[in-house]
Parts: sequence; structure tokens; C-alpha cells
Amino acid sequence: MTPPSWNVIGKPIPQVGSRQKVTGEALYTDDLRIPGTLVGKILRSPHASARIVRLDVSAALALPGVHAIVTGKDAPRPFGVLPISKDEPSMGIDRVRYVGEPVAGIAADDEWIAMEAMKLIHVEYLPTKPIDDAKQALAEVANAADKIHPGTKFGNNLHKMVEQHFGDLPKAFSESFHVAKGHFEYAGISHTFTEPMSAVAHFDRDGRLHIWSATQVPHYLHRAMSEVLGLPMSRIRVIRPNVGGGFGGKSDPFPHEMIASLLTMRCRRPVRITFDREEVFISHHGRHPSEIDVAVGCDKNGRLTGLDIDALIDGGAYGSFGVVTSYYNGVLAQGPYRIDNFKYRGRRAYTNKPMSGAMRGHGAVNTRYALELLFDECAEKVGIDPAEMRIQNALPAYTTTINDFRITSNGVVECIEKVRDASGWKDKRGKLPFGHGIGLACSFYISGSALPIHRTRTPQSTVHIKIDMDGGVTVHSMAAEIGQGSDTVLAQCVAEILGLDVSWIRVKTEDSDLAPIDLGSYSSRVTFMMGNAAIKAAENIREQLRKAACRMAGGEPTDWVFRDAKVINTVDPSKSMTYMEALDEALADNGALIASGWYQSPKLGGAYKGAGAGLSPTYSFGAYITELHVDTETGFVHLDKIWAAHDCGRALNPLAVKSQIIGCVHMGLGQVLMEQWDFNHRSKGNIRNPSLLDYPMLTAKEMPPVDVFIVESDDKEGPFGAKEAGEGPLLPILPSVGNAIYDAIGVRMRELPITPASILRALEAKKKGKS
Amino acid sequence: MILPPFTLHEPKTVDEAVALKTKFGKDADFVAGGTDLLCNYKYEINAKPHVISLGTVTELKSFDTTRIGAGALLDDVMTDSGMRRDLPVIPAAIGVISSHLLRQTGTVGGNLMVDTRCFWFNQSKFWRDSISGCLKSEGDACRVVWGAKECVAVYSGDLAPVLITLGASVTIAGPKGRRVVPLGEFYEHDGIKRHVLGEGELLVEIRIPTEARTWKASYRKLRTRESFDFPVLGVAVAAKVDGDLLLDAHVNLGAVHTTPLSRDGAISQFIGKRIDEATASEIGEAVADGLVIHNNTAMTPAYRRKMVAVFTKRCFLDVTGKRAVAETASR
Repeated sequence: MTPPSWNVIGKPIPQVGSRQKVTGEALYTDDLRIPGTLVGKILRSPHASARIVRLDVSAALALPGVHAIVTGKDAPRPFGVLPISKDEPSMGIDRVRYVGEPVAGIAADDEWIAMEAMKLIHVEYLPTKPIDDAKQALAEVANAADKIHPGTKFGNNLHKMVEQHFGDLPKAFSESFHVAKGHFEYAGISHTFTEPMSAVAHFDRDGRLHIWSATQVPHYLHRAMSEVLGLPMSRIRVIRPNVGGGFGGKSDPFPHEMIASLLTMRCRRPVRITFDREEVFISHHGRHPSEIDVAVGCDKNGRLTGLDIDALIDGGAYGSFGVVTSYYNGVLAQGPYRIDNFKYRGRRAYTNKPMSGAMRGHGAVNTRYALELLFDECAEKVGIDPAEMRIQNALPAYTTTINDFRITSNGVVECIEKVRDASGWKDKRGKLPFGHGIGLACSFYISGSALPIHRTRTPQSTVHIKIDMDGGVTVHSMAAEIGQGSDTVLAQCVAEILGLDVSWIRVKTEDSDLAPIDLGSYSSRVTFMMGNAAIKAAENIREQLRKAACRMAGGEPTDWVFRDAKVINTVDPSKSMTYMEALDEALADNGALIASGWYQSPKLGGAYKGAGAGLSPTYSFGAYITELHVDTETGFVHLDKIWAAHDCGRALNPLAVKSQIIGCVHMGLGQVLMEQWDFNHRSKGNIRNPSLLDYPMLTAKEMPPVDVFIVESDDKEGPFGAKEAGEGPLLPILPSVGNAIYDAIGVRMRELPITPASILRALEAKKKGKS
Repeated sequence: MILPPFTLHEPKTVDEAVALKTKFGKDADFVAGGTDLLCNYKYEINAKPHVISLGTVTELKSFDTTRIGAGALLDDVMTDSGMRRDLPVIPAAIGVISSHLLRQTGTVGGNLMVDTRCFWFNQSKFWRDSISGCLKSEGDACRVVWGAKECVAVYSGDLAPVLITLGASVTIAGPKGRRVVPLGEFYEHDGIKRHVLGEGELLVEIRIPTEARTWKASYRKLRTRESFDFPVLGVAVAAKVDGDLLLDAHVNLGAVHTTPLSRDGAISQFIGKRIDEATASEIGEAVADGLVIHNNTAMTPAYRRKMVAVFTKRCFLDVTGKRAVAETASR
């Protein structure tokens, strides 16, 4: 298939705004300096679980330089990103549920005074016995008031339970040639974005609240602030400055945003709260610590017969995105393989820890690791090449899964073939010397959640375009640029339709007063949804230019194409004109051009309970191969090379897609080999490693070379054929490492992270098993 | 986190520095590169109202292959051609200290003086308060060893084990003049006391005997990542060898105890033997035997003790120009 010839789409251009970011010119939330801004600090609970018996702020309030103090009683209404679990107060009211939970907010002239004031706030706690992990949370609680959340429907500390059955799994397993089973455990991990959370709130003289915040979800923040603060949305303005990374860690409304707002409303001075790194670790909503039992059956030819998943995830103190996570741990295992018999139970527990939530690859990553390792076990039992078996089991394009996901474009087989051939798989797998190994794994991920979080008929993404006499094209959207490149996609889509290069396009995506709603940067939805809205808006404004061209030179609107800042008549080229000439005519007796475009996902899915979870207008696919070697005396895993193929439908910007893939590899390698949110039974609910020194991410030294293969399956509903490339590419890296370790030393590692010590233990166990 | 306020003093000479320290006593800290001290200050760990900068004391900065001024920059020593020729183990060990950026700020003396570390201590004030502190901070109980009366925070420098095996000594300046102490006797248990420096005393230089150049030496460091991380084990070996015949040797372990830990006593039986992988393994086991390692850093004590044996073995193979089979196989 020859792709259409585009001028801007498909070109590897640097991100809009990247020059400012690499030179330090770009301003982030903490860089804002509104005259008179106070420093906000949060007093946090030192207890994992406690009643607040007394809270006295009078001494702190009397300290010179302290302008306002707020506590939980000032905003008792709980909030949460999901309407179905609004369970988090801005600050603990009569109890606290994790170490670090906000108890009071202080606005002071400077940080020193604020810290002094914190010491003067008197809080009397009555500590209660904390729930340390998800298993403990399953124990029945006699008195509902003793539960972490007394109002839940369960008799224990469960937050959510979901169950799904499709086909006849017991029968399928009983007839299977082999059923591979395993219990897998995963430490919780953190997004570790570069920019700590930061918010500046300003309640102005007209009684309007402005908030600048490092957020992925300005619209959900807007809604939550309105509810918590009791102000109509029209009296709140949300501004999202440059954001230094999110990865899901900035995709909830947060207490500090409420606290900064409450403080500025109290003292009428702007208030800035910027977290230190420890506060980021406390507030991050990272990937849930999880225990997952998975069973995969296959017949004697290697055809999958069924899949059984039972996931217990540790949600921490509040809901966050946890209901969605509870579903995603199961439903996102429906691809890329055809699964006709499927059973899933997902349980999320409340515990006295900082909460878990959405993180890149949300809910799909941990189950994917288990599934791909067990898939390899099946291949081994059947005696078939795992790559071949994956190709045999791949879902076709344009099909429907057993749980009613509509699959459109699907490049998974091409992905497998690409990495298999490039890596020399056939000469390496099972043939490398002991200690060296190669492993393969695939991915499947949503490209935008088809259902909006709130029930509304407002489109999921709207884009406005304005063109005035200077010819510059101003594009408005609230899609949150968080470093992933959505502003660039927006500019490229509009530029392509109008036949301009991106230097003509001015992207304005910061300010809720100016830009129309987009639901935010989560669920890998922005390129697909905002991109389609942008195309529609650009086509609408192009129509006005076409009509103007007709008025000037005659002919039909369909005669014109837009290219290289020219409006070209394809029937009679002599009638062609420049873009500026056509614009001049279009503005006459009309003024600046405006147009709008929007995207709404088609109605999809089945009618059963939970059918909406995991629904997406399209899905991405991928396949990775990792080659590595293991030092069998130290247990260290050394990564040699990664081959990464991802089907993103169409790479609107191959440079950005490649960067996303490499970034995903880096992040996934961290989870599989070293990262963990370390809790210790003696640390009394504290994370033991809340710093970038003690929480290890891969440095450049551990990062192996990555060969990236972009597969373009040309999705029929995607903008120019595009699908997501921001989260799906994380999924295959973890199990490709796990499978490569098996190829290298013959052990299947079922606990993440895979530490050198755990490798040695596994080798030891293997040795004993043999002797 | 923000630095607590302090008064900065900038003496020009060692005598001035010592006078200032004598004057302020426990209310003052010396600071050289600041890469350790100032991070701790931000955590409100034993921050002092007076800080005496050594950056302006020129005497401390010079170095050659027989003496290294305590204020010499790690990066300068690492890249020095004389060092690389005569004592290559020193640049090699510096090369695995922290990161490139910090080596351009941190000093050799600062690395020797690096504070002991512990999961329960190297935390913010908020964090420590939530566990009511520990022996080394604001509390009165050790969080690592139940009922311990002495602090078991871990000595986490890379250079000291290496320099000790090379027979280095240090010059200390104080109110009563200068004295020289073998580096092997400089460090003292426990994790709070740390060393022999007395009131007003300052580490001035490290002296390395010329004989050290005739020894073969190796340093291996265990940590999660190949950059940035503190050691959770460092093994330094210096040996006099004739081919693979071991004539004499010193072994010193970092990051498993409150001080660098000499294990010379464990290896005396191997002097006079030929080193092959089997013998090196025996040496490793002997060095690891009986070690008590506490659970207060990254990686478990059981794993670190295993690695004492493996890393020691590999160091002894290094000094005889060999490599462990498992290491060769995994390359």
C-alpha cells in the first residue's frame, strides 16, 4: 500500500515548543511569578491510620507572615476523578488513611515561615491499626466504622470487585492439551515524571478563581474544583502551563489543587504549592501493587483455548482510577490473541497506603507480563516456536472479540515478523549459550476510552480554529500537552489540511477560557480523538477558503487543493492563487474566519455489566524482542538489545512515535528490573525509598540500544489512519525480558521487579529441583 | 525542600579553618564539595548554624601520586595521567563514585568523610518524625537492630577501602598541630562516631606509600545501577603477586559495616598459594564467612553477603589477570 502523499503528516518534525524546553525558556507552573504570591505548604499525617481527635491551628495562624490556614472541614465534600468513586477529601477531616495525607494547608510569606507554622499546628491523633496490604484487606471487619471506608458495600476493605465470564472455560480447560498456570506478584511503581506537581491558585477581585496546574486533565480538574469549592464552573478558569511529564501521575484532580484554591479564597492572595520529590512519591497514584493468578490453555496445535485471570490489586487509601484499573487487569488481555473462553475476577482493596491509580499502560501491564510468559510455556509444551504460535493465534483485522470489542486495523503479525527477522530470532532462540537469551512478547492496548467518564452528550474533543488577516492559524483545544507531543499532532493535522507548514500554526491549548473542552491526556486518546476533531475543524475552515477561491476565480469548490501555502485549481492551474490571496477574499465582508470540529466515539460494545470497560474506537498492537545475558554468579541481567515494533496505524510524526516507543522501553525496563515502591513492615506506612536516589530508574548506562519498527496498518477511523503510540508500546517490553531470561537460564520469573537476588534464588531452586 | 539557614565561613588557610572549627565546635560543619552534606541539610539532618567552606583553602587542592590534598576534586584525580599510570585502581574507583556531575564537585577528602547511611536515617524530617527518629537522628532507638545501643548506619564511601588496602595514611590538622594516622585506623565504630577526628580537627591530605605502585589492585562495587548509586558493597583488594602466586594481600570491604572493614585476617592462610578460580572462590568464602550485615540499605543482607564472596573472588582473579568463568560467559 502506498501511503497518500502528505506534506506535514508522516514527517519527523521536532515537537512544537521543544526549543524552548531544551533551552530552559519554557515556563512551568512553578516558574509563574504573580506579584504577591504566597507560598503554600501542606501539613501531612505521620500516621497510616488514625482518628483526628483535635486540630488546633490558632498558634500557627498567629505567626507573623502566615496569611491563611485551611483544614478538612473547610471543604468537606470528597472528590475523585471517577464519578463512581468520589471518596477523597481535600484534607483529612476526622480521620487520616495514609502517611502523608494532607491535614492542613498554610499560606505564608515564604517557605520558612510556612514550615515554622507547620510545627505550630497542633494535631492530636488516635492511631488505629493500619491495613498494610491487599490480602489483609480481605479479612472481614466486624464493625463497619472500622473499615477504611465505612460506606462500602463489602464486609471487608474491598473497594471493587468485577467478574466476567465468556464461553465455557472449565470445558475448554478440561479439553486442553496444556494449561499453563502461574501466580504472579508485582511491586507498586511510580511514574517518576520530571516536574513535581505544582499549582498556583488566584482568587481575583471579581471573585473568579484562576488555577495554573501541572495536570493532564484540566477538564476533570475544572469539574472537581467546582464541586469541592462550591463555585460554578463559569467562575473557575483552569490553565495548564507546560507540563514536565505525567504518564498518568497527573491525571486526577489532587488535594493540593483544592488546598491552594481554598487558601487563595481565604486570603485573596495568589498561592503557590510545589511539591518536593517525597510529596510526589506520596501523591503519585502509581501502578497498583498486584497479585495476579493467570491460566492459559492451548490445544496440541498451539491454538489458545481459554484464559483465566484473577487479580487482586492494592488500591491504597482512595479510589482514584481504581475502578477502571480493576477492569483493565482483565479485559485488556482480550488481544492480540483470539480468546474464545474467558473468565476474569478483579478485586481492588483499600489499604492504608498512598493510593494507586493510572500509570502508562494502565491496568494492562501486569496481566500482560503473566499472559506472555505463560504463552511461552504453552509453546514449549506444544513444541512450537513462540513467534509462530503468536502468529497463529493473532486476532485478524476487522473482527470482534468474545467480549464485544470491535477490532479494526491490526498489524500485530507484521510486528512479530519485523522483530523476528531483524533480531535473527530463528538462529538465536534456544541456541544461545547458557546465560544468554532472547524473548518475544506482544501487546494490545486501547486508543482512547470510547466512553467518557461523565455521562454527557458533549463531544469528547472539540477543536476551534481562527484565521485572521496575518494568515496565522490559531488552533484552540484543551487537549493537554504534557510532553507527549499532542500540540505537535494538533498543528500537523491542521497544517496538512490547509496545505501549510506547521510554522503557520499557533497552538493554544492552555486556557479553559479560550479553548474548547477535550477530556484530557489519559487512555491514549488524544491523537485519535483530538486529531479527528482537528481535521474536521480544519476542513470546515478550508471550506470557507474554497468558497472564496471560487468567488475570485470561478470553478467548483471541489476543484481546489491546498498545498505549499497555495490554493491550486486542479482543473485549470492558471486559476491557482496563494493561500494569502484566498484568505484575503474570504475575510472580505466577513472578518476573521472561525470554524469548529469535534470527535465523539461511535457507540460500541455489548450489553453486559462492565461492557464499557476497555472499549475503544480502535486498538494498537505491537511485538518486541529482547536479547540479554545473565551473570549467573551475581544474578545481574545485562540487556544487549531490543527490537521494538508497534502498530500505530499511521505515524503522524515518526520522530515522536519513535521517542514514545523508546521512552516506553525505558519505563518498562525499570519496572521489570529494578523499580519498586518499597514498603517495609517496620516503616509504619512510609514508602522507604521516596527519592530518585533510592527509587532506581534506569540511567542511560543501563539502557540498551533499541531498534524501532513502526508498522502502519492505516486505521479507517484514525486521523490520517493513526492510532495510539504512547502506552501500548510499554506492554511488550516486560514479558520480552521475562521470556528472554527463561531462554537464558531456564527460569520463569514470576515476581517483579526481577532483582539479582531473585535470579539467584530461582537458579538455586531450579538446581534443587533437578538434583 | 529548602536549605536551613546557616552562616558561611570562608577561611583561606588550614589554620584559619581549624581555628573556626575550634571556635564553633559542634555548631559547625566543614563543607568541601557539599554533595553529601548539603543534601543532608535539606533533609534537616544534623544541620548546623555555621558552615566552614574548604573551597577557599588552596593547600587542600593539590595532589600527586604520593599525596592527595583532601580538597582535590574527584574528577581531577580520576583524569590525572600520573595517577592512571602509577595507581590505576584509584582513578578506576573514583570512576564508579556517584555520577559525572557530582565527581566534578565532590572531593577526595569528602568521599573519605562521607556520612554513614541508613534507610531509617537518610530521610526527610517528616519521614523521620513519623517513625519517631532513630539513634543517629532525633530518636533514641535503633530502627535496624532491636534494642541496639550503637548505630549501625553503613559506611558508604568508595575510596576508603581502596586507599586502606594500598597502605595509605592521612594527615590531620588540629588545634594542637598536625598528626598522621594510618587510614585503616582512621575510622571508628559506630555509625555516629565514625572516625578519630577530635575537636577542631580537619582531614588535610592522604599519603600513599610509593610501594603501593608495585602492588596489583582491584575495586569492585555492588549497586543497582552502574551510575549514581552509593555502594551496597565495595570490595577492594591489593596484592603483591608473582604471576599467579600470591605473596601478600589486603582485603577491605565497604558498605557492609559502619566503617571500612579489613578482612586481612581471613585471608592469611592463602598467602603463598597460587590463585586460580577455585582458590579465589575459597578466599571469597573465607572473607564472607561470619560477616554480619544489617538490613538498612538497598539489596538484602543475604544477597550482599553472597556477593562479598563473589566480588572478592573476582578481585583476586583481577589482580592475577584472570576472569571468573561466569563473568566471561555472560559477556
